[in-house]
Amino acid sequence: MDRVLNNTELRDEEFLINMGPQHPSTHGVLRLVLKMEGEFIRDLVPHVGYLHRSIEKIAENRTYNQFMPYTDRIDYCASMPSNQAWAVAIEKLAGIEVPEKAEYLRVIMTELNRIASHLIYLGVMSLDLGAVTPFLYTFREREWILDLFEMTCGQRLTYHYIRIGGVSRDIPPEFGKSLKAFVADFRKKLDDYEAILTENPIFLGRTKNVGVLPLDVAKDCGASGPTIRGSNFAWDIRKAEPYSVYPKLNFTIPTGKVGDVWDRYIVRIQEMRQSCNLAEQALDGLPESDVIRAKLPAVLKPPAGEVFSRIEAPRGEMGYYVVSTGDKKPYRVKIRTASYGNLQVLAPISIGWKIGDLVAIFGSLDVILPEVDR
Amino acid sequence: MSTIKETIKGFWNLIVGLVTTAKYLPRPAVTLQYPSERWTMPERSRGVVVLLSDPETGELNCNACLVCMKQCPVSAITVTQAKNEKEERYPATFTIDNTLCCFCGICEEVCNFDSIKLTGKYEFSVFNKADLIYDRDKLQELGRDVKYEKKRKPKPAPRPAAKPSEAATASAEKPESTETDKAPSGEEIP
Amino acid sequence: MLELDKALLAIYAGLKTWFISSGIPVIWLDLLVMIFAGIVLIAVLALTALFLVWWERKISAHIQDRLGPMRTGPHGVLQTLADGLKLLQKEDIIPSKADRKVFFWAPVIAFVAAFMAYIVIPFGKGLMARDLNIGIVYVLAITTFTVISLLMAGWASNNKYALLGGMRSAAQIVSYEVPLTLSVLGAVMLAGTMSLNEIVEAQGPYFWRWYWLPQLLGFAIYFVAATAEVNRTPFDLPEAEQELVAGFNVEYSGMKFAMFFLAEFVNMFTVSAVATTLFLGGWQPPIPGLAFIPSWVWFLSKTLFLVFVLMWFRWTYPRLRVDQLMDFAWKFLLPLAFINIFLTGLGVYIFK
Repeated sequence: MDRVLNNTELRDEEFLINMGPQHPSTHGVLRLVLKMEGEFIRDLVPHVGYLHRSIEKIAENRTYNQFMPYTDRIDYCASMPSNQAWAVAIEKLAGIEVPEKAEYLRVIMTELNRIASHLIYLGVMSLDLGAVTPFLYTFREREWILDLFEMTCGQRLTYHYIRIGGVSRDIPPEFGKSLKAFVADFRKKLDDYEAILTENPIFLGRTKNVGVLPLDVAKDCGASGPTIRGSNFAWDIRKAEPYSVYPKLNFTIPTGKVGDVWDRYIVRIQEMRQSCNLAEQALDGLPESDVIRAKLPAVLKPPAGEVFSRIEAPRGEMGYYVVSTGDKKPYRVKIRTASYGNLQVLAPISIGWKIGDLVAIFGSLDVILPEVDR
Repeated sequence: MSTIKETIKGFWNLIVGLVTTAKYLPRPAVTLQYPSERWTMPERSRGVVVLLSDPETGELNCNACLVCMKQCPVSAITVTQAKNEKEERYPATFTIDNTLCCFCGICEEVCNFDSIKLTGKYEFSVFNKADLIYDRDKLQELGRDVKYEKKRKPKPAPRPAAKPSEAATASAEKPESTETDKAPSGEEIP
Repeated sequence: MLELDKALLAIYAGLKTWFISSGIPVIWLDLLVMIFAGIVLIAVLALTALFLVWWERKISAHIQDRLGPMRTGPHGVLQTLADGLKLLQKEDIIPSKADRKVFFWAPVIAFVAAFMAYIVIPFGKGLMARDLNIGIVYVLAITTFTVISLLMAGWASNNKYALLGGMRSAAQIVSYEVPLTLSVLGAVMLAGTMSLNEIVEAQGPYFWRWYWLPQLLGFAIYFVAATAEVNRTPFDLPEAEQELVAGFNVEYSGMKFAMFFLAEFVNMFTVSAVATTLFLGGWQPPIPGLAFIPSWVWFLSKTLFLVFVLMWFRWTYPRLRVDQLMDFAWKFLLPLAFINIFLTGLGVYIFK
């Protein structure tokens, strides 16, 4: 009897929960192993690699132009910037000069794609938090952007539009009017989304002061993009290491103050407004020209050497490190994607929070698994 | 005091949220009732790849230069060359494996002879994976009604063996193209 | 047809004379009448649940700028029937180590509890199964039955996530019962009786005299607590798939799952019906001039409007986290309910 009574002390045990590869909230195939103590998370280990497609190895067996469709699929939600990252890297390596009209077209397309990517973030994040309707609304806005892309290059998701040396086709005549109409309508729709979410007490209760990302942790983990800008750090490649025609265009970098989930949300909303301005400015500043692509040799053989270049993709910095031996195929391509760095941040900032918060925090990092796994 | 103000502000925002969603109730839907209503594909759509034929003679424009086969990033195109009685080169077999094709459009861009085009067709689901591998006749049939602009030069005159002057004329007429290789002579294709 | 209550009374009187003349004891007639009332109730509620499922899909679709079901019948009216048939023909899976008896009875209890509350709800003038003089207390007691069925479902599934989900659900419902009951007390105080029919009669046929106006706070508290009782967003954490812990009904399939699903919609209708009865004047017309429209039409339209508001909430708001949910009930709604009772008592004392 005594033995039974003595063994009935209460113990706290930590147990492991597997938020498996198939889960509605993990935005792709990501496996999170959580060490829980009751309701609270004590440790978190992400297991990646479920979507690994050996893109970097494939690059060693394709010519520079042939590799461009593969870059579409590294981050299919932001296909234009992914194309541009590769194009900028090879142009830097081979010393190719891009015609001005092509640069302006690139800016229009990447900024529109930034809006489309942030719309996915907005819809999925509110879906994770329980508000289903903004998901449908953001996808309706996205349809207009995708229509614009489809009339230009023929595809709605993997565009293969930005090429080495320029872009593939000029915009059709109806593009300009449709873009202006879209931007005017979109600004009003953004006000709608803000009305549903930004000051909503339930939304604030779930996102304010949740998952605060300190700046040193962000820098150590290699976070970039809106994730680090939410922590009051105005780092944007378009201003820090300008490329394309961004020096000529007028825009600001929105930052958050505290680095919580709400700040990252507000940063992305304001970035969408900035992208609207940028797209309009680029359309207005489009030079009259017929040259949309630089004259390239039939077989592109960049000089031997290596290059690292990066651009501002919607999720953060996307960089390419290319080693060339003077052949028509690269020797080694290393892709530095934004979501890989942003995913590292998840473990430090979710410790001590509950699982319900984990969903909100992970949604705010806007991680896309194909980028992480390549 | 501030909690009361916050409560009232929060309550007001909840009402605003309700009004914002209710605005859409009387509006017509933005969706299409597929398949009774279909989206008209834009002219530049990149869908199923087809082979184009000459509108008058009905023959394939393709002269089996193998550029598209070598430039396809996923190796979806397989072509074998043959020569007909008039010593013209033509594709004996031309297979596109639609299970591999990624609709990037590179084959259409590098073709010098208006032979291959991406159409706006997107409804080609089948029950058997083998039915997705299209051979030359099926590709030609799919391309019969496709309108295209003749942008490139016509097929070269057949080269009888060892006539260097004619070969020089053929390659000199090659138009300025920005991303193709040195077709049609069939050399230097990466 | 329009004067349903008089027609029913006439039929009853006629049958009674026939029974007496044939020598059969009248008690058999009363038994027949009770069975008849039960059947009619179940039929009406089943049809209502069918309608509500379709209506939810259409409302959610139109809020989201799309069309909803359009193919099964004109504008998709037969969709619920199709869903029901689909669930009927699904395999009935029982987990291997589950407690079979408890697993079987959980959805039955949920379903039965959902229906039992309608015995005292006045659908129209004279259209009630039974006018109990403790009407509202009976309804509140019956809605507590759902807690038992949730706990049974969570326990019997032999799944630790279902158990956690069931316990969370039960904790949520029990916590929100308290402000619900207290907010109802305000209307009871104003009417002076607990019988639902008499509360409706006491409200009178003028819409400014219905209890939503003097009891604005009580109505608001009741409605929010009712949303939590039926597990609807923003309080639907137990049902959410995006959170890790699955709901209590994760192991259920086929007809058992259909029973839980239908019970949820019937519960929605119950809380709206009670709100209509207590605060919106039940079957009373808003002005006496409109009394030619039958009373049950008024009742149905008011209840359906409240159900629409519940659905509107679901498709607009994100959901609360479970600890925020509990905080909201105990630290916000409960003090407000007490304030409401205090003010109502003061008002009744001063003005009567």
